[in-house]
Amino acid sequence: MLEGHISRAFDGALAALHIRVVEMGGLVMDQVREAAAAYTDWELGLAEHVLERELQVNQYNATLNEEQLTLIARRQPVAGDLRAIIAMSKAVAELERAGDEAKKIARTVLAQGSRPGPATSRDVRHLGQLAVSLLRSALEAFDRLDGSLALEVIARDKELDSEYAAGLRRLMTRAMEDPRQVSVAIEAAFALKSLERIGDHARNLARQVQAMGRDSQPLPETAMTPD
Amino acid sequence: MNDASNEVARERKPVDASSASEEPSRRRHGEGGLNLKPSGRMPSPTSLEHRSGGDQTVGQYSVDNAVFSCRDVNVFYGSKHALKKVNIDVGRKQVLAMIGPSGCGKSTFLRCLNRMNDTIAGTRVTGSIKLDGAEIQAKNQDVVQLRARVGMVFQKPNPFPKSIYDNVAYGPRIHGTTRSRADLDDIVCTSLQRAGLWDEVKDRLNRPGTGLSGGQQQRLCIARAIAIQPEVILMDEPCSALDPIATARVEDLIEVLRESYAIVIVTHSMQQAARVSQRTAYFHMGELIEVGETDRVFTNPRHRLTEDYITGRFG
Repeated sequence: MLEGHISRAFDGALAALHIRVVEMGGLVMDQVREAAAAYTDWELGLAEHVLERELQVNQYNATLNEEQLTLIARRQPVAGDLRAIIAMSKAVAELERAGDEAKKIARTVLAQGSRPGPATSRDVRHLGQLAVSLLRSALEAFDRLDGSLALEVIARDKELDSEYAAGLRRLMTRAMEDPRQVSVAIEAAFALKSLERIGDHARNLARQVQAMGRDSQPLPETAMTPD
Repeated sequence: MNDASNEVARERKPVDASSASEEPSRRRHGEGGLNLKPSGRMPSPTSLEHRSGGDQTVGQYSVDNAVFSCRDVNVFYGSKHALKKVNIDVGRKQVLAMIGPSGCGKSTFLRCLNRMNDTIAGTRVTGSIKLDGAEIQAKNQDVVQLRARVGMVFQKPNPFPKSIYDNVAYGPRIHGTTRSRADLDDIVCTSLQRAGLWDEVKDRLNRPGTGLSGGQQQRLCIARAIAIQPEVILMDEPCSALDPIATARVEDLIEVLRESYAIVIVTHSMQQAARVSQRTAYFHMGELIEVGETDRVFTNPRHRLTEDYITGRFG
């Protein structure tokens, strides 16, 4: 879909764009993993690293937007090419937002509020692993333009949603049992929510893969009989 | 940065996974990060319709209340089968664009619509071409009368070596559609106005038409075509000899003319087809592959060949 143009420069530009979106995705995935680890291990250094690299994520976002505009202006793509570029543009937006969620988690650690206990850490670690794995699959699907893997990601996001709900219930139980846990529970709830949102962004990314894979909504009819 | 990455990709054609993974930017956060091999490849789409020598056109080729209704149109140049079983309607007050690679039959088809193929020895046209329900292939069809109803504009502006006035007045004069000089003046004036040329030439109507610029000449030819008040205007690559500004003028004119006429335009510029037409027909090797609403054809082509052509994958 991205190759085979008479103009090989256009092939190259599309492929380069695709690769750079995957690169950005790799960075964002690493951000999510580090942010989750910073929270569960209460590691200031990791959290600082996440915040530093957030600038890189934003840089990717800005540059890729420019590149997409340039490509549209210079090539006037139509049909599948246009869909692919628009889908990549939306994918970049999803990744950027996933990066923002990672940043929020890191900020919680940097504020040095209430350190989570082992049970809460376990919940966040678990949800973090799920979110990273979902993001990885979504990126693999995006990279290979693999529609069936994308479908799988969309289904697996529901699993993450129910894990999120279960995690919240456990947080609430612990807070009720020991009111001193309330402040931890509130911060942990935000962290869990961020991870759940990252799962949503992975799912949306997977939807863009489907948009790239094939475009057409079937027409009501194909060939008409004369009159 | 953009240029640089394009440059890299250009040298790398086609992008392959091994060289991509060597990029430093990938290694920077590769540690524990994403170990993906960018393929830049996509499995070939499956939902596009592939044809294997079938003769069915994809998309809706019929329209309600058609001006032209063409069924099973075949054209042979001697033994060469140039156009194969084409079914298509031309709607009123809309622009039908015909696109396709050189030699695909689009101009051949256009020339069927006012029997221009009659002028080429050894040409045989079969099938049915009806203009307002009447068969134009019929032996008793007056070709001059037909061409008064179906005007044509060619690729290269071809004003007669006469004055601007006489160029426009030529058709009404030979078809005898005017009674007085005042009538004729009126027709010349309105035709030039509709062609968007009046303001530029009103002070020099007696100067030769050939003295105008290319874009003006083409608009003069359009004025000449509409002076006989045709029902349909055929345009064979009307802008390919014009600069972008003159092209934009002609395209703007097409948009205005569409309110009164059916227009069939053959163009090599897909962007032009996308800009000016309501329906688009894609021809390939003498077959009509796909026809449909322009909005759809350029966003969601149904046939693989159409997609490949409009995205620049062959042609």
